[in-house]
Amino acid sequence: MTDITKPLPGQERYVAPLDETPLRAVDNVDETAPATSMWADAWRTLRKNPLFIISGILILFIVFVALFPGVFTKNDPNYCNLDNYLDGSRPGHPFGFDAQGCDIYSRVVYGTRTSLSVGILTTVIVVAVGTLIGAIAGFFGGWVDAVLSRIVDIFMAIPMLLGAIVVLQMFRTVTSLWKVVLVLALFGWVSTARIARGAVLSSKNLEFNTASTALGSTPMRNLFRHILPNSLAPIIVIATTSLGSYIVSEATLSFLGIGLPSTTVSWGGDISNAQSILRTNPMVLFYPSVALAITVLAFIMMGDAVKDALDPKSRTA
Amino acid sequence: MTDNTETIEDKLDQLQRSQGPLLEVKDLQVDFVTDEGKHVHAVRDSSFSVYPGQWVAIVGESGSGKSTSAMACLGLLPGTGQVVGGSIKLDGTEISHYTQKEFTAVRGSKMGLVPQDPMSNLNPVWRIGTQVKEALTANNMDVSHEKRSSLAKALADADIEIKSEGDETFLGSKELPALMEAAEQALVKAGVKGDRFEKSMERFRQEWVAGSETRWRVADDLIKAGVKDDDAWYIAKKYVLGSTVEDRIAGLLDEAGLPDAATRARQFPHEFSGGMRQRALIAIGLACRPELLIADEPTSALDVTVQKRILDHLQDLTDSLGTAVLFITHDLGLAAERAQHIVVMYKGQVVESGPSLEVLQQPQHPYTKRLVAAAPSLASQRIVSVEERGEDASAIMEHKVNEDSLEHADTVIEVDHLTREFKLPRTRDMFKAVDDVSFKVKRGTTLAIVGESGSGKSTVANMVLRLLKPTSGKVTYNGEDISQFKGKGLLDFRRHVQPVFQNPYGSLDPMYSIFRSIEEPLRIHKIGDAKSRRARVKELLDMVELPESVMQRYPNELSGGQRQRIAIARAMALNPDVIVCDEAVSALDVLVQDQVLHLLNDLQAKNGLSYLFITHDLAVVRQIADDVVVMQHGKLVEHGTTDEVFLHPKQQYTRDLLDAIPGGKLELGLNLD
Repeated sequence: MTDITKPLPGQERYVAPLDETPLRAVDNVDETAPATSMWADAWRTLRKNPLFIISGILILFIVFVALFPGVFTKNDPNYCNLDNYLDGSRPGHPFGFDAQGCDIYSRVVYGTRTSLSVGILTTVIVVAVGTLIGAIAGFFGGWVDAVLSRIVDIFMAIPMLLGAIVVLQMFRTVTSLWKVVLVLALFGWVSTARIARGAVLSSKNLEFNTASTALGSTPMRNLFRHILPNSLAPIIVIATTSLGSYIVSEATLSFLGIGLPSTTVSWGGDISNAQSILRTNPMVLFYPSVALAITVLAFIMMGDAVKDALDPKSRTA
Repeated sequence: MTDNTETIEDKLDQLQRSQGPLLEVKDLQVDFVTDEGKHVHAVRDSSFSVYPGQWVAIVGESGSGKSTSAMACLGLLPGTGQVVGGSIKLDGTEISHYTQKEFTAVRGSKMGLVPQDPMSNLNPVWRIGTQVKEALTANNMDVSHEKRSSLAKALADADIEIKSEGDETFLGSKELPALMEAAEQALVKAGVKGDRFEKSMERFRQEWVAGSETRWRVADDLIKAGVKDDDAWYIAKKYVLGSTVEDRIAGLLDEAGLPDAATRARQFPHEFSGGMRQRALIAIGLACRPELLIADEPTSALDVTVQKRILDHLQDLTDSLGTAVLFITHDLGLAAERAQHIVVMYKGQVVESGPSLEVLQQPQHPYTKRLVAAAPSLASQRIVSVEERGEDASAIMEHKVNEDSLEHADTVIEVDHLTREFKLPRTRDMFKAVDDVSFKVKRGTTLAIVGESGSGKSTVANMVLRLLKPTSGKVTYNGEDISQFKGKGLLDFRRHVQPVFQNPYGSLDPMYSIFRSIEEPLRIHKIGDAKSRRARVKELLDMVELPESVMQRYPNELSGGQRQRIAIARAMALNPDVIVCDEAVSALDVLVQDQVLHLLNDLQAKNGLSYLFITHDLAVVRQIADDVVVMQHGKLVEHGTTDEVFLHPKQQYTRDLLDAIPGGKLELGLNLD
């Protein structure tokens, strides 16, 4: 019996020398580490992402082109002379001329503005409307949520392009760029609304809202000060990714001839005009297509990078 | 009887000495690689060993490397973790360099795991039985014969002679009724009558579980009941013919302590409570009769009484199977109570190890000393605040200050016949979460509400905070019914009654800097201008002993304890009278918990605060509360001063709760003070 109290070999009493593991204060704050908010953290992740750097440079360039097309070309995109019918490139006109005798290079440069404004305006409207409706549905719940969610479901059931074609058919005479923007927004807001509703629902149940209520905060204050800011990340992600797809949709509609009027310089319209002579002069179609592809790619890449940085799963908070 | 157990212990000791350690970890080093490619040492030069049939506990705070060490033994290091040095020997074989494939062969059959979180470790789309079966088939287990550890065999050799391998055959459910009948007849034939007959039959009914009882045990039971040797073996051989997979699954679940196991095996995890899931996980971990079971905080998510039941059962089971257990816990009391050998880890290193009682009664390393001092065991007294300690030491010994204030103080919060019902989903039934609860919180004192999960204690807290409307009854603050407050009156009430919530990760808005979080109540109540608010935030941070520099930080950069201190600072911003702490220290490590409790206590002494302290942990109650309310199933079970409740509990339920406090009866840290 006595030897039972004796520890087994290798299990004798052991105390580590103190200098090896010096005792630290209980739960001390690391004052040396830099302070980081969620956005600062996201920015740090983004900065290191090559996808973000490439797409960022591209987007900055595209925006610059859209804002100051005059820097890149002195030619008027709407000055067309049939004398130049399908002429090749020559000094001052690097991409040559199309079937109407217009300068392709200047049309590509000026088309940037159209595509970009449609994309950005649509995204702004979609985010504003979608977030508002989604947040209302998620925050109030009950019958408000039921009604709004059904409306969202109905819009979800309509394919965006098909819906846009039908609506645009009815307004053929309107020439404004806003026509396309509004129609795209009309069918685009639903996905944002869904995501906003989900995000609001999940952050509504977080404990800091209860804490805030107990501190005396009103529900509305909670919504705008706590819930919405905490729901922004997924909304930003979907906004950046879908910006590219709105640009594509605009091009598609213009290609079909029911988007922007032919008087507006746009890549979609130019691609449409070039398709009839595709076999003989493929380069006429090539330039606006490449411009469109690069622009869309840049925005989709950007959306991907933003998603990586804001992905809630990678964050512990 | 005592002689007998002594010899078994002696024998076990001899066997352990002769066989050597089952698991031997020497100078283990585990590194994690960060995104930047930096190596972080999670475990450094750690050594410990586990002998066959022994319980060894690794104790430490979160991040101390205790789980990492255990997972390294199983080859289950998460993410970029990797063993970079030292050796891990299982039964004398070096396994630290094993490939995943080699580990697969060892896991399950030689080493089992009972994981930490019973909620997420069972696959929700599979039946419990299927998940047990998976463990059996993955290791090609013979389901009709018992596999016993060499230790169990060696220990049992003296008592039972096992003639052939067929004697280890399991009883099948098909033969069970016939066996019962035969046993009954045999008893009659042997002349066993009356009370003894009934008792024997009752024992058979309980113990003869298909898929768990073997032929030799059936024979042994019959012989003990008075049946002749030859008859007993004849019956056992005739009726114990081997079990099916289903029998074995039910048998395993039954061994783990699940009643009505055959039915339970067909259920899904969501139909199980947390405790039942943990039992299922234990059944899975032990399914292949491993020599070593690694239990990673197996009960930390469960209520104390459930924890006690499960661990008692696990201990019986592993003792009878001869399984060694490597038990990882943050709870010193639990370790002291269950393990023979204890290993204390801190910052990735073993700082102290040795026989568990010796280590905890005579801690040597300063960290162990600190840990033991902070452990809220039953022996601890109510914390006395810094100032009181300084002023008059003798008064504190007498516990005088508090008793005086208890008698003379007026009531600040009164809960009067409070009842709250919830509608159960998909039915018309109402569920009474809180049922006719009344108590008073006196000014400047702490009232603790204790109960297990589902006892309705948090619902009471939410009603006191007016976050939830009572179905009937009322809560009064300074004599006024709080449900009558509107507009300015409500704002005023909110200003004086503040909450601190359980989850330190959820109660601070991750988008707000610490400064804005603490400033928020001041903004809501429109107190002061930007400059004075800034000064107040600084003052509050100082009050909770955090440096000013945390103001620009965000919650995700702070530890749980620091966030909880921020939450306390925010609650203190408006100079409240009452703070409702809903499990405010439950999620924290012992040392941090101790620190926060002291902080709360000092604030109370300084500002005359009253606390309504909701907790499931009776040990904490002893440290902080003056009055205790015990709740069970929504009802108030016992109400009294802390000393009354602890020293003379009136209700059985309170006694059960007290008994379940791990290590409650052990005196720790004898060399401290």
